[in-house]
Amino acid sequence: MSVDMETFKQFAQMLPHLGENAQVTQRSDAERVGSAKEQFLRKLDNRMAIELESCIHCGHCASACHFYTGTEDPKYVPIRKLDLLKRVYRREVSPLRWLHRLYTDDITVKDLQEWQELVYDSCTECGRCSMVCPMGINIASMVNVMRQGMARADLMPRELMGMEQEQGEHESLFGVGPEQMQGAIAKLQATGIDIPLNKDRADILVTTSVIDLILFTDGLIATAKVMNHLGVNWTLRSDGYEAANFGLLSGCERVQRKSSARLIAAAKACGARTVIIPECGHAYPSMRWEAANDHKQRLAFEVLSISEFLGRELKSGRLRLNKLGRQRKVTFHDPCKIARHSGVIDEPRWVLDALGVDFREVDSGKELNWCCGGGAGVFLINSASDLRQKAFQIKMGQVAKTGADSVVTACGSCRLNFLNGKMRAGWDKEVESLVEMVAEALPGN
Amino acid sequence: MRDAKTLAERLRERGISRRGFMKFCAATASMMALPPLMIPRIAAALEQARRPSVIWLSFQECTGCTESLTRSHAPTVEGLIFDHISLDYHHTLQAAAGDAAEQAREAAMKENWGKYLLVVDGSIPLKDDGIYSTIAGQTNLAMLKAVAAGAAAIISVGTCAAFGGLPMANPNPTGAAPVSAIISDKPIVNVSGCPPIPIVITGVLAHFLTFGRLPELDTLGRPKVFFGNSIHDRCYRRAFYERGQFAETFDDEGARKGWCLFKLGCKGPITYNACATAKWNDGTSFPIEAGHGCIGCSEPSFWDKGGFYQALSKGTYGSAEGIALAAGVGAAVGVAAALGARSRQAEADSKEEK
Amino acid sequence: MTLLDIARGPALEWSLIIFAAGSLWRLVGALLVRRMTDLSEPRSHSTVAGGMRTVFTRMWPRREFYKQTLFGTVAGYAMHIGLAVVVFLFTPHILFIDSMFGISWPGISNNLVMFAGTVTVAALVALLIRRLTTPLLKMISSADDYISWVMTLLPVLTGMLAYAHLGGPYQTVLAVHILTVEAMLIWFPFGKLFHAVLWIPSRAQMGAAFQRRGVKA
Repeated sequence: MSVDMETFKQFAQMLPHLGENAQVTQRSDAERVGSAKEQFLRKLDNRMAIELESCIHCGHCASACHFYTGTEDPKYVPIRKLDLLKRVYRREVSPLRWLHRLYTDDITVKDLQEWQELVYDSCTECGRCSMVCPMGINIASMVNVMRQGMARADLMPRELMGMEQEQGEHESLFGVGPEQMQGAIAKLQATGIDIPLNKDRADILVTTSVIDLILFTDGLIATAKVMNHLGVNWTLRSDGYEAANFGLLSGCERVQRKSSARLIAAAKACGARTVIIPECGHAYPSMRWEAANDHKQRLAFEVLSISEFLGRELKSGRLRLNKLGRQRKVTFHDPCKIARHSGVIDEPRWVLDALGVDFREVDSGKELNWCCGGGAGVFLINSASDLRQKAFQIKMGQVAKTGADSVVTACGSCRLNFLNGKMRAGWDKEVESLVEMVAEALPGN
Repeated sequence: MRDAKTLAERLRERGISRRGFMKFCAATASMMALPPLMIPRIAAALEQARRPSVIWLSFQECTGCTESLTRSHAPTVEGLIFDHISLDYHHTLQAAAGDAAEQAREAAMKENWGKYLLVVDGSIPLKDDGIYSTIAGQTNLAMLKAVAAGAAAIISVGTCAAFGGLPMANPNPTGAAPVSAIISDKPIVNVSGCPPIPIVITGVLAHFLTFGRLPELDTLGRPKVFFGNSIHDRCYRRAFYERGQFAETFDDEGARKGWCLFKLGCKGPITYNACATAKWNDGTSFPIEAGHGCIGCSEPSFWDKGGFYQALSKGTYGSAEGIALAAGVGAAVGVAAALGARSRQAEADSKEEK
Repeated sequence: MTLLDIARGPALEWSLIIFAAGSLWRLVGALLVRRMTDLSEPRSHSTVAGGMRTVFTRMWPRREFYKQTLFGTVAGYAMHIGLAVVVFLFTPHILFIDSMFGISWPGISNNLVMFAGTVTVAALVALLIRRLTTPLLKMISSADDYISWVMTLLPVLTGMLAYAHLGGPYQTVLAVHILTVEAMLIWFPFGKLFHAVLWIPSRAQMGAAFQRRGVKA
């Protein structure tokens, strides 16, 4: 089995202390507001302009939001989370700005402080609201711009600030830097797993994440097994292994660029044509969609999520799997960032089909799937703990309806949130990783 | 000069029976929406009424209003009532001409100062000191002011006197104005129409004779009893309007079936007059019955409300060019706004690079 | 010049000028805000088709969202369809459009138009009550919502009054009706009524953005 609850509980005990290392810069309120506004200005484009102009205040987005639905607190209506961005848009960019300025208040530090909860604690940028909006407003993408503005104002949850600063300054997360990573790989290699580390030339650069190194090691092992089984020329590199991007999650663009730059450099160094992103939700769009724009340069390699890679290998016939059997009743949880945000929807289903399990689709799945409530770093935010749990109730109900015994997913963050929810709610479902199931079903395993 | 006979005596002389007279009184009461109880009172008042002195001034007009009142095919009670008044001055109808006519007017004014009724048809030119219309060397304006000064009340007969009418139509070359624009210290009744309906004039006279005062007026100074309803309200083709059945041309199936003439420019919905109930030519019909839409002749500036055959709903919205120009200006402002926003954003970009 | 003459003449002209200038100003100004080039590798290139599809698919919410969207959607449609019937199928309106653009089509029975008008008013009232009583809607409502509501209701209401010859002399009510339409035209470019223009580009670009990433939005 993937991870035992004891290990998870130890990990969970660490979480409340995450924010303690955050270095908070002391700046004047005017400076904070100014920085936030400038960031909004830098990011506002005509797509956002059209969308911000078109909202009819129908409130339909609320029906899609797990935080609103879980609490029924009107302050969590998704579109409202964009209010500050909208106000800056109206005052500075909108064609009618001369008019809007007459009745639209400028944003203040108080506003930013109030909105911190709305764009961090109560939004996982899952994007489900975009699926209901009759005007086609992409709220999640603008919530990320909101986070960027907050980040410029140094107003973000301490946990994310600590993580972002650690990744930016020390290239480490949870104290795991390149050195510790090499140690962890060495340990795995010692158990007989062949993990090619720091190869000079490789077709495929496999990336991983701190969660896989310290908690879900089975996921990393499973990936290595699959790669080895396929006989591809792959490597894992200590100069570019961390797929998680706390710059993207926290809204700190500088760290976002720095983090994606490391992966791009590592891929370049070994001449990889493909970069594989592990089971980590935001890490996929971070490389797949954001990285090229971070560096204003097209990527020289293809970016695949591990579930996407597995699906393709199965489809092409290069990978064959044993049947795990219909006695395993599973459902699949589409990670928002990989499915709804990135279009990896069919591939994991091809995998489940090949595994021969009793797969049960959830109601409102695929691109309409309910978020688990822990995405976009929310899992790490302590103040969001209760909110998250309320949102998770929806997920539990959705899974219960399928009658499945376990939930399979392809995102470490989702897994953490499921485990946490399971722990708090005494839930009886198992939480599994897609790649680990594939490794289990490899012929000759 | 004064004839001491009462109206009743005159009517009997002319062979109008008591029964016929009462019928007229009933019709008048009904037109004026008075209760049946009022019929004997009207009859009594009219029977005892002495001939009031009336001075009729015709200014910028076409004589159509006079024609309307006098050209009845057979003698009618309305015609006789009209005969009954002492028309002391009316330059179309009176026998006297030139100085004699003017002297008659001045004599009548002097004799009945403060009591005579002044009837006006035609509008009054004001431009260039009113030189565009003069009578016996006197401008209409001067004559109106002089005669109005001694009048008990003024009846503006026809749309020209009431609202300016055709002479005032765009571009109004003579600076024509209605009576009400010039005289403000006398009660004025506007009996509009081009021409007005005869019974409406006699009705107003009957009311004056019966009650010794003018009838209740609407906001345009017209007697409510005759101008209270629109042509559309009382139109027998109204049902077709409700059902959306409209004649498209004057010779189509709809026109033959008597459908609504709205699309052919009927101004019935915005025109207040008694045509649909009082009718014309001894109660024969009114224009819509003859297959033509109402042209709105009893309303102010009816000449300038677009064409008679242009449907009422049509706006006079200026030019398509003007709107296209506005759209172009709007687009240009939009471009400028976007450029301004871009430079503001570029400024934010440059701050980041630091 | 009577009120009706003002309504049908200069007021109409000026409201159309403001309507045209304001609409272009807002639309062009928003479309020309700077565009960011997306350098990531698209999963799908058929973004135009994806955008067009979303324009249509968003006409009705997905089953999954019925609980909170059905009432608003049904009432919204009742209001919009009723309004369209009143605006485009009432004979005097068709004649009005004809006089401006030279195009016309057959109208329907005035009784049906009155029915549609009643439906529109009822739906507007229902939507307002919902907005005033639902906490989440109250939270996101602004003056714009209420102004736009009034601007939509008044022309319908005054039009129905004029038709029924209620509320004063016909030409005064008609003038007020035309003036309320003109007020609506003037407000249109500056408030949320402008969604009547923006719904297509807004949906299309989101549909295209999701299509680019291989998701049917």
